[in-house]
Amino acid sequence: MSEFERRDFLKFTTRALLAASGLFGLGALGRFLNFQTQSPPQTVFDLGLASEYAVGTRRVLPEIPALLIHNEDGFSALSLVCTHLGCTVEENTSGFVCPCHGSLYDDAGNSLRGPAGKPLRALTVETTADGQLRLLLN
Amino acid sequence: MRPNFFHHLHPPTIPAQQSRWRYTLGAGGTAVFLLLVLVVTGALEMFYYTPTPDQAALSVQVISYHVPLGGLVRNLHFWAAQLLMVVTMVHLARVVLTGAYGPPRRFNYLLGLGLFVLAILLNFTGYILRWDQGIHWALVVGTNLLKTIPLIGDTLYEILIGGSQPGPATLIRFYAWHIFGLSLGAVILTGWHVFRVRRDGGIAVPPPLLRRDEARITRYELVRREVLAMILTSAALITLAGFAPAPIDAPIREIAATTSDASAPWFVLWVQQMLKWGDPFLWGVLVPLLVLLVLALIPYILPQPHEGELGRWFPRSNRLARWVLTGIGALVLALTVLALLSGD
Repeated sequence: MSEFERRDFLKFTTRALLAASGLFGLGALGRFLNFQTQSPPQTVFDLGLASEYAVGTRRVLPEIPALLIHNEDGFSALSLVCTHLGCTVEENTSGFVCPCHGSLYDDAGNSLRGPAGKPLRALTVETTADGQLRLLLN
Repeated sequence: MRPNFFHHLHPPTIPAQQSRWRYTLGAGGTAVFLLLVLVVTGALEMFYYTPTPDQAALSVQVISYHVPLGGLVRNLHFWAAQLLMVVTMVHLARVVLTGAYGPPRRFNYLLGLGLFVLAILLNFTGYILRWDQGIHWALVVGTNLLKTIPLIGDTLYEILIGGSQPGPATLIRFYAWHIFGLSLGAVILTGWHVFRVRRDGGIAVPPPLLRRDEARITRYELVRREVLAMILTSAALITLAGFAPAPIDAPIREIAATTSDASAPWFVLWVQQMLKWGDPFLWGVLVPLLVLLVLALIPYILPQPHEGELGRWFPRSNRLARWVLTGIGALVLALTVLALLSGD
């Protein structure tokens, strides 16, 4: 084995070890930074008495954000989070429009135009035994 | 004259053609000065800024409206950051359009590109630190883009956001990255970048055998020119800070009020415009990364500029690289204009 081959081998080994320890350190950093200190976001919202929402009304609940619909078939709800990149859509005359990238939805939440493609998410609404309304995000 | 500390940071003399305004535009040096302004004004802001969701926007209001000269400090920080973006773009364009990136300066070109990326990230994190209604959608969109990356997207999101949606952990993380992680990286890379300029033989000029230019300037003259650039930059900063205050908005309330302004910061407007076309991963992540990759590969795959043509604008030998850069610049500019027009 000539002198140069041995030097090349040592050089290669040194670099491989350095790269490996670098990757190892990066993985360790990822584990360190990945710890979640925030409590998970709220998924159940109490909306008060069901009787306070008259039949035939639609009400925006900005803190969720969602739209609560009460018609002859009962309660239903639409998420107002744009399915493209998560901005809150705004109501306009014929449906909903996203302020960020212009996605358009009809008033039932179906995607009409723009980058979103998917309809607004339907949320579960349930009425408890004592007449309280509850909205579930999942 | 006895050289002082600043004179000693420079070589005793340098070739005159390396320091002509019309060749270098003074862009790199101005960027270093702006970084210095940002460090000083940023350090002053740290005495009042509170990185919690409840207090952040209010503390920005306190700096802007109550602290004596606080508005000036914040406006200087804001405008120095915006000017830094402009100056680094000019610097990059100068280096490509004069063909100054060829060997042995290829590595330094990459260091410079890394600094450009750091400047963008610092500008974006600083913008988010306002934590008011004006930045809300930029935060939501910018972080949701991470989620669209296959395989590692969700992990990356959690590491950067510190939760499954933006909250207190997100603000403290952006704060830590802005004032420490990214800033330290920028300062270290700047030092390395400037060191490599000298190590690579100064600003790119032709070898003396090909085009002889005997004229040299002393370090006194060089420092005099640098001070002149600093004075002009300071005048521009103070004028901008005095007449155009940094943007500010009402704090984000519990109830997400409909925000009037959903446009991204100006330097990413072109990405926002592309996102209107559809698939967020393609337009919001892949295309910007591809642009960066093309810029990084310019010195490695395109024809090398000829040595005899260095030190002048628009050398014939690197015509292709110039067209690539001009094309990218024109596209980004066109998309930005489109975004600005559709915003109104």
